[in-house]
Amino acid sequence: MDKEIIEHGFSWNRRRFLSAMSIGVGSMALGSLLMPDLLSGAGAEEGWAPGVPHFAPKAKRIIYLFQNGAPSQQELFDYKPKLREMHGQEIPPSVRGKQRLTGMTANQSAFPLVGSFVDFKQYGQSGAWISDLMPYTAKIADELCIIKSMYTEAINHDPALTFLQTGAQQGNRPSMGAWLSYGLGNENNNLPAFTVLLSRGVGNGQGVYSKLWSNGFLDSVHQGVQFSKGEDPVLYLRDQDGMSRESRRIMLDQIAELNEKSYLEFGDPEIASRIQQYEMAYRMQTAIPEVMDISKEPESIVKLYGPDCLVPGTFAANCLLARKLSENGVRFVQLYHQGWDQHGNLPYEIAQQAKDVDQASAALVMDLKQRGLLDETLVIWGGEFGRTSYTQGELTKDNYGRDHHPRCYSIWMAGGGIKPGIVYGETDELGYNIIKDPVHVHDFQATVLNQMGLDHKKLIFKHLGRRYRLTDISGEVVRNIIS
Amino acid sequence: MQWYSKIRLVTEQCLLAVLLLASFLLLFEQYLEIPYWLQPVGRMHPMLLHFPIVLLVVALLLLWMPRSLEMAQAFLLWGSLLSGITVIMGLFLSKEEGYTGEALNWHKWSGALLFYCGAGLYWLSTRKQKPVVTKWLGSLLIVPALWITGHYGASLSHGENFILEPILAQKKEAPVVLEEAIVYAHVIQPILQQKCASCHSVQKMKGALNLTDTLAMLKGGKTGRLFIPGNSDLSLLLERVHLPLEEKKHMPPQGKPQLTPVEVELLTRWIDGDASFHSRLMELPETDSLRILAQSLLQPSGQLAEQFDFAAADENTITQLNNFDRSIKPVDRETPALEVALYNRNKYTVKHLQELSSIRKQVISINLNKLPVKDADLSALQQFQNLRKLDLNFTDITDAGLATLAALPQLRSLAISGTKISHAALTNYLPGFKALQSIAIWNTAVNPEDVISLKKNFPKINIVEGFIDTGVDTLKLNPPQVRNQEMVFPKALPLELYHPVKGVTIRYTMDGSEPDSIRSPIFDGNTILQQHTTIKAKVFKPGWYSSEVATFDFLKNSFIPDSVRLLSKLNDVHQAEGAETFFNRKLGAIGANNPAWANYWAGVRNNDLVLEARFDQAIPLTSVGLHYMVEEATGIYPPAVVEVWGAAGAESPKLLTKITAPLPLKGEKPSLKLVQKEMPMKQVSYLKIIARPYQKGKNRYLLLVDEMFLN
Repeated sequence: MDKEIIEHGFSWNRRRFLSAMSIGVGSMALGSLLMPDLLSGAGAEEGWAPGVPHFAPKAKRIIYLFQNGAPSQQELFDYKPKLREMHGQEIPPSVRGKQRLTGMTANQSAFPLVGSFVDFKQYGQSGAWISDLMPYTAKIADELCIIKSMYTEAINHDPALTFLQTGAQQGNRPSMGAWLSYGLGNENNNLPAFTVLLSRGVGNGQGVYSKLWSNGFLDSVHQGVQFSKGEDPVLYLRDQDGMSRESRRIMLDQIAELNEKSYLEFGDPEIASRIQQYEMAYRMQTAIPEVMDISKEPESIVKLYGPDCLVPGTFAANCLLARKLSENGVRFVQLYHQGWDQHGNLPYEIAQQAKDVDQASAALVMDLKQRGLLDETLVIWGGEFGRTSYTQGELTKDNYGRDHHPRCYSIWMAGGGIKPGIVYGETDELGYNIIKDPVHVHDFQATVLNQMGLDHKKLIFKHLGRRYRLTDISGEVVRNIIS
Repeated sequence: MQWYSKIRLVTEQCLLAVLLLASFLLLFEQYLEIPYWLQPVGRMHPMLLHFPIVLLVVALLLLWMPRSLEMAQAFLLWGSLLSGITVIMGLFLSKEEGYTGEALNWHKWSGALLFYCGAGLYWLSTRKQKPVVTKWLGSLLIVPALWITGHYGASLSHGENFILEPILAQKKEAPVVLEEAIVYAHVIQPILQQKCASCHSVQKMKGALNLTDTLAMLKGGKTGRLFIPGNSDLSLLLERVHLPLEEKKHMPPQGKPQLTPVEVELLTRWIDGDASFHSRLMELPETDSLRILAQSLLQPSGQLAEQFDFAAADENTITQLNNFDRSIKPVDRETPALEVALYNRNKYTVKHLQELSSIRKQVISINLNKLPVKDADLSALQQFQNLRKLDLNFTDITDAGLATLAALPQLRSLAISGTKISHAALTNYLPGFKALQSIAIWNTAVNPEDVISLKKNFPKINIVEGFIDTGVDTLKLNPPQVRNQEMVFPKALPLELYHPVKGVTIRYTMDGSEPDSIRSPIFDGNTILQQHTTIKAKVFKPGWYSSEVATFDFLKNSFIPDSVRLLSKLNDVHQAEGAETFFNRKLGAIGANNPAWANYWAGVRNNDLVLEARFDQAIPLTSVGLHYMVEEATGIYPPAVVEVWGAAGAESPKLLTKITAPLPLKGEKPSLKLVQKEMPMKQVSYLKIIARPYQKGKNRYLLLVDEMFLN
């Protein structure tokens, strides 16, 4: 046993050594969560200490309005009049090429094209085409950079979602928010750097799992903190009845002391994380109620976001909350709105889904702008892939569905140094293939990191002998959409 | 010793021969033609030259050591001989194409000098001179000659400044300002300089090509013109670049640093443009690929990193000033700039700003949003002379404070949304903000007309307003909600209707009719429910469209059995909470994704649902009810019949009543239903409820029940 202990002593690496230094300052470990990573130097490679941007960032924070289930681009942002012309005709094989099918349409005998049931109009100085399902979003067209040429590698929800969030389909890697927390640290040490808010619409839903906001192999202080609706937005945060804040403090100090001892004995960096998390939770006990309090929001804000913003658990409420969290220095606020998986019954469901998110998404952008925050906050709206130009299931007079389509889909970004009022990329006239300026998921991620002042090739963590990046081994910053 | 002297004699004679030959060649160099079979000899020059260097250096060292003159002589002799051979080989090599210019001249003559010095020194050392003369003379002549020859030789083979280049490249001059960047000079020429000039410069014009001079570039080399502006496809330059690496004519040659894809792209785009030597980067259209590529090359971060003229703050100071209420972070790793944010409304004092005096130069951004900052506090901001961005949204500042802020010379972005700042103050003080580019004034005392005049008066400042509720865009209220925790109640229940929007009127009905805005009662919190009730409620507020009607079913169950037991099996996938399901006051919901679907519906299809309930004390039963789901499309049906058997004490159970429910219509929408039957009061302490799933021919239908009601 002694031998093992001695060997353990030798095997201390730089990361642990630096972590130890940060703890070694004794009780300062409690008082100072300043830049946890600057001190702990977690996985710092090639002389780079995480916690500070590589270069001057355009954006300090991100709000990611994830539309979970893959919204149909043909009904929202990618206007294809040709599809209406060819409504009911078989998709030309030359267009479909060798695109694989999902299990849901693999046995379909025909693939008739289907035109959008909804009309489009042009908006703003950019003349962007936006569907009538998104009247509020249309009004802020000149704030948006609509990318119509996103594409991904996965064809099913879970891998595609995981790919977009972590840069890999398998789901053992850190999420984008965790990477940013790792790369930039907390802005406000009273709140976590990465928070998650969930909501769901009436449409066909797909699950979201906590692995999507996992810290992967990064230190667990970087994992996303899920907020739930209701009285306890952050679970287990509230003191038990009868526990005063003073006794909580004493308790935490004592636990920290014990943890510190076991840290010195075992040297497990996760113990250090645990001390930090206790301390963060203590801070959050006062910070969270203040942030979550929407009762003081003026009626104009309620009208801006729509009255649903006062109903906890709705997308609108989460947008309002996202603004408040972001305003308070939360680096990455991740929203998921479920219910966009319209394999069937698309016209009814997508209209409902759009109604859930349209006003509040646009409101969020405007609200940030009027506070002078849009310049430094990047808002992203989009799903994990697109939907097919042909119908899934029966094509009736007023009903149809669309299957998964990884080859192209539309998202938008606003603020955070992204060019406003532009439409980037083009798909063919059947909306099936990209014909101009494709943006791969890794390109998108590289661009997002770039806006936050991080070089995606330098934001690296070494794990099990390999250096990992959010963009894995590829990705180019899409410079044409950067202002 | 004989053989040693002999070898020495032969070597000396060789040295003499080489001396003569080299002198001859140097004299008549211009007439020299090297036959192809002799070229390999010339090309071995770069290999052989290392030997004389080492030998001569060792010889010098030995000269300085005591009692080693003989050894020194031997090294000198061999070193000189080899340097002579090297000189001759070098002369051969220099005759090959591409070696011209000043560097070659220096290299040639200093090499020759080295050779003569070496030979002379050897001769001197054998003349029984005092060693001190030899070693001083040798050191003073040979060391500089070696140095100069080596330096120019390296320049010839590796390009100019080969050794120091990495260092010099590091401290390159201030990056060119984008606005002033010239495409050729700042983008194209550096590529050529880095990747081509080691062979194609004035010094070493391989293929008679010089890429360091614009005129020479236009002229091209031995093979012809390098490029035709506007047509990269016909460009010789790019043809060579695109040849396979193994190809002899591929450029840069295998083994030399290759062009990166971006560099190739830049060259292509430049030639495809007009290949101009003078056009500016900013003259190109914004979407031009060359411009975008070049921009990203000149500014890796895609933006013009601001240059600051102050030194970085002390790291310890920053660490000490950081705390939970005040965050101080470096803007990035390239600049000394810092940004500050203050948090925690309750703990804010102006001291938090005053304490920052040690980093006042470095702070370029301060965020004080939502803190109780007073006008007087703003004077603490005046120390930050480099402040670029200031956020004061929803603070307590007023017009007076604005005057203080005008003293910040660098302030570019100011956010004062949600403050009491007036139009008059802005008109007065904005001219004093010399550097201001953007100001957010939403939700201040400035009204929309004033914003228009502000925009007119300050065209250079981006005036950010925001959402104003003009009342034109009428919104629809969302439906009311209930706050009651449980929808199933034992005796009486105070109704808790709720709506999150302030100032609304909730009207409701209990008779199943639609609530209206005139006659239906207004909900005031005093409604007590006594029995099964369907509440329909609607919300009204001036300036809004009224909400949709919300429907809530409240159900009453007076008696909870003391024990329950299932006498039949539930479906495997509809177990819910077993026998407890029916009196747990938890209602199921429609939609298989909903947790209330999986957890609260007990289901049977192939057998009856038989539930046995016992009461410790007999209850006066007057009605029995069942709550169930109907989803016609998927075959979830009402029960065919429900039999209620009951008994008091030890008597045997009797059939008390039979309940039937209406069948759904074809295409009926999914719904939750209640079926209930009244009966004469009967004291029971034992109940058996048998619900039979609906069956038609061979088709059996699913029966889902979540609650039962005994009243």
